[in-house]
Amino acid sequence: MVFSYNWLQSFFQKKLPKPEKLAELLTLHFAEVEEVKKEGKDFTLDIDIRPNRASDCFSHLGIAKEIAALTNLTFGVPTSEIKEDKNLRSKDFVSVEVKDKNACPRYTARVVADVKVGPSPKWMRDRLEVCGLRPINNIVDIANYVMLETGQPLHAFDGEKLEGQKIIVRFAKEREKIVTLDEEKYDLNENILVIADERSPVAIAGIKGGKLPEIDNKTKIVVLESANFDSKIIRKGSRILNLKTDASLRFEHGIDQNLTEFAINLAAYLIQEIAHPQGGYPKVAQGLVDVYPKKILPKRIKLDLNYVKSLLGVEIPEKEIKSILGRLGFKLKAQSAKLLEVEIPTRRLDISIPEDLIEEIGRIYGYEKIPKISPMASLVPPEKNLDIFWEDLTKNILKEAGFTEVYNYSFINEKDGELFGNKNLIEVENPISEEQKYLRPSLIPNLLKNVQKNQKNFREIRIFELGKIFQAPRFEKRMLTGVITGEAFYQLKGVIDLLLNKLGISNVWYDEFEATPEASRISIWYPKKCAEIKVDHEEIGFLGEISPQILEELKIEGKATVFDIDFEKLQKFCSEETIYRPISRYPAAVRDIAVLVPLEIRVEEVLNKIETAGGILVKDVDLFDIYEGEELPEGKKNLAFHIIYQAEDRTLFSKEIDEIQNKIIKALEEEPEWQVRK
Amino acid sequence: MAEINLKTLRNQAKKEIEKAKDLKELNEIFKKYLGKRGQLTQILRSLEKLPKAKRVKIGKEANQLKDFLKIQFDQKAREIKERIAKSAAEKEWIDITAPGKKPVIGSLHPFTLVKRKAEDIFQAMGFTVVEGPEMENEWYNFDALNIPKDHPARDLWDTFFLKNGFLLRTHTSPVQVRYMEKNNPPLRIIVPGNVYRHEATDVSHEFQVFQIEGLMVDKEISVANLKAIVGEFFRRFFEKDVQFRLRPDFFPFVEPGFDISITCLICGGKGCPVCKKTGWLEMAGAGMVHPNVFKNSKLIPKDWQGWAFGFGLERLAMLKYKINDIRLFRSGDLRFLQQF
Repeated sequence: MVFSYNWLQSFFQKKLPKPEKLAELLTLHFAEVEEVKKEGKDFTLDIDIRPNRASDCFSHLGIAKEIAALTNLTFGVPTSEIKEDKNLRSKDFVSVEVKDKNACPRYTARVVADVKVGPSPKWMRDRLEVCGLRPINNIVDIANYVMLETGQPLHAFDGEKLEGQKIIVRFAKEREKIVTLDEEKYDLNENILVIADERSPVAIAGIKGGKLPEIDNKTKIVVLESANFDSKIIRKGSRILNLKTDASLRFEHGIDQNLTEFAINLAAYLIQEIAHPQGGYPKVAQGLVDVYPKKILPKRIKLDLNYVKSLLGVEIPEKEIKSILGRLGFKLKAQSAKLLEVEIPTRRLDISIPEDLIEEIGRIYGYEKIPKISPMASLVPPEKNLDIFWEDLTKNILKEAGFTEVYNYSFINEKDGELFGNKNLIEVENPISEEQKYLRPSLIPNLLKNVQKNQKNFREIRIFELGKIFQAPRFEKRMLTGVITGEAFYQLKGVIDLLLNKLGISNVWYDEFEATPEASRISIWYPKKCAEIKVDHEEIGFLGEISPQILEELKIEGKATVFDIDFEKLQKFCSEETIYRPISRYPAAVRDIAVLVPLEIRVEEVLNKIETAGGILVKDVDLFDIYEGEELPEGKKNLAFHIIYQAEDRTLFSKEIDEIQNKIIKALEEEPEWQVRK
Repeated sequence: MAEINLKTLRNQAKKEIEKAKDLKELNEIFKKYLGKRGQLTQILRSLEKLPKAKRVKIGKEANQLKDFLKIQFDQKAREIKERIAKSAAEKEWIDITAPGKKPVIGSLHPFTLVKRKAEDIFQAMGFTVVEGPEMENEWYNFDALNIPKDHPARDLWDTFFLKNGFLLRTHTSPVQVRYMEKNNPPLRIIVPGNVYRHEATDVSHEFQVFQIEGLMVDKEISVANLKAIVGEFFRRFFEKDVQFRLRPDFFPFVEPGFDISITCLICGGKGCPVCKKTGWLEMAGAGMVHPNVFKNSKLIPKDWQGWAFGFGLERLAMLKYKINDIRLFRSGDLRFLQQF
């Protein structure tokens, strides 16, 4: 909010610190001054008033009081002594009826007769303009001026336009309408508080005035309103109508109910001083109309000075604490040693507990004067967070395997929602753009988009992400997903084997995916080039090539192979345990074997045969070549293996190895279409 | 006869060894004297035929000669090898300016690196790392944190609402309440995680950011303690003494509340575009835990004191790596990511 430096100065006889200095003082002890700007002969200070201080500091007086407390300069409130006319009585001009005392805890009105509407004086116009308000006429300007000075929004009606000379504060009826001062039409409803005369609403309470009783050049009798409305009702009304004004902004933060009288008297005084016809003098009618059934009294808070010290961590002398509270306008009464009773002025709506007072003491004293003191705590080592431990390890392994980590947004757009065909999508109610239509149900869509974007700069792409996915109704979990460009099924399968091995998981295997008709997600995979990743009997993820349709839709060149692992499931199998297996002291022997098998035979089947026939002396079998080619008989492929023979307790004789090898060959050749190549 | 033989043999062999040009020649000479049918070998074999006295004398001399020649051969062989090596070293070379062959490894995202660094620093000071859900309800995200419904304070957090009745957490602070409900003080935790703000993006604003929350609660925890811990964090994170300050700020879940700023690391506090000419960079919101937050966490407020803070990881990473656009982090651009 913008404040005028000259206006602030007007409350002090002594000179204030220079604008920049003042700004620094306020920033360090009150609220951040975001900008200081020269405006003609004045300066403006743009102060980021936080919501807790809006109630008393959306006003020049509020800021001036802060400055007085910070600088210890003497501060004076301008006089606003009005001369009431004994022959006129307010109640003869207007009567006020408040239907709902909770919605409108106080309604104050004054009547000023014989006014002359015209432009306001230059000094007033200047101050309004510096603060960003457009001058209109002296009456409206005075209402605005008083609001900027005191924080109390005011409204002025033409007294002669109020039907039945009545002001009724009530909720609007269904289908009631109002045309506001700026000629906008609003449909009202029962949630919106209005000011009405006998006939219809004449203002939206606390938000905006109506056209009907508008002040114009012919206005002679002004009825001033200075009221207090319930903050929640004003906030709600302002939201329903989508109408925010200087008044609604102040009311929705709450205002001191005791402020109405001071503000309305100041306004009446200014009208008397300014809006007079040549030679004449506006008459303020006798008596303040004041509907204020439940007067607000100052709160009292007991403040334990030991607690002040304990919470701030610094001993501030009692004298200084008292001085700070005194400068802020709080009244003090010593209860006993180290215990103060503090009376809070009603304008400080933000203060209700001792901690609030401690903040006041701390900030005025200066947080910079609080020393750094290491806390005393028991020497309890932090607990190990296993979720983060396994995440870190996983990320390190993938990095070393050549993958770059990405962090994508947790959203996908509508098109991706359709493309990836997930029916468990969670929709965002108020997306900023179409890009945040849904929460991501999978990490795959955004990763594939990363691939597409990077393809113009990189030939081969290997990326992964470990992050949350979201599924209806209200489910979130971590997934680990990675992509390699190209036809890279075996490469990626190798990466997963490596990863799981390093995470201490040994019993991983791959199962063919049998698509059920309802498994729609499978449509993103290339049908026969994908597999379920399983540990024991649990599926923990998926591995495979992305279907050509998806790639085309996303404009990805070439192929892309993806793994998609449920990290919550994976983590359950992770283990740090490693048990050392003694290295055999006896040499290993390697024999190769090549088998010609039909194309549809899986490597796994051949491996199983070799291992079963070989027995315990076959330490390991490595497939080192798969060959399909013209030289081979039609429909056949050649699989070549290294077979590693080793015993734990002796050196194997050549003869012994030959016997096992022959046994293996025999076993393989039992299959009619298999042929061991010799 | 044998004596003369040995002497001649010695001189002859020595000469020949000296003249040998390469290992092959040397090997031939070796064979000639010490091979299976070598001259000296034959002499040694013929010893048995001699009478005992002579046998002893000549045998001793012949064996001495054998040892002597072996040393000569070894020396010569070493000389030749050294010569070969030297001449090869003179001829063969590699261009050390040609590029090395790098093993292909990937890289971790700067968030991960900065997050780990922060976690390490706080764990060293006894803080446990905990996490919480990103999809939250209004109670934990707002009400429990003393941010009432229909209060303008809620406007401080622009929120993404979800059609399932939940919202995306606007800060990591809900985890304060979630953790204190289940764990009694004394406690020290930090909470890293994604948070969401319903606002437009530009070089310094994002709608999804990464935050680190801190919370310490015990019998007598003070602002002075907060300053000590935060100061230590900055010092270790930036690996130098960083000036910082607390100034008043307002967050409903703390009282008093602070903004924590550090001296601008770009201009050293003189004022530059990064710090908007103020010389200060806002790093975190912080404050002393509000009694209502204790109450909402089922703790008795008067028994406990504590502080909390919330850092933006992006800010920390941007300063550490001199990154000038916040949107790069989630761009997925490998030209950016592979620099870390």
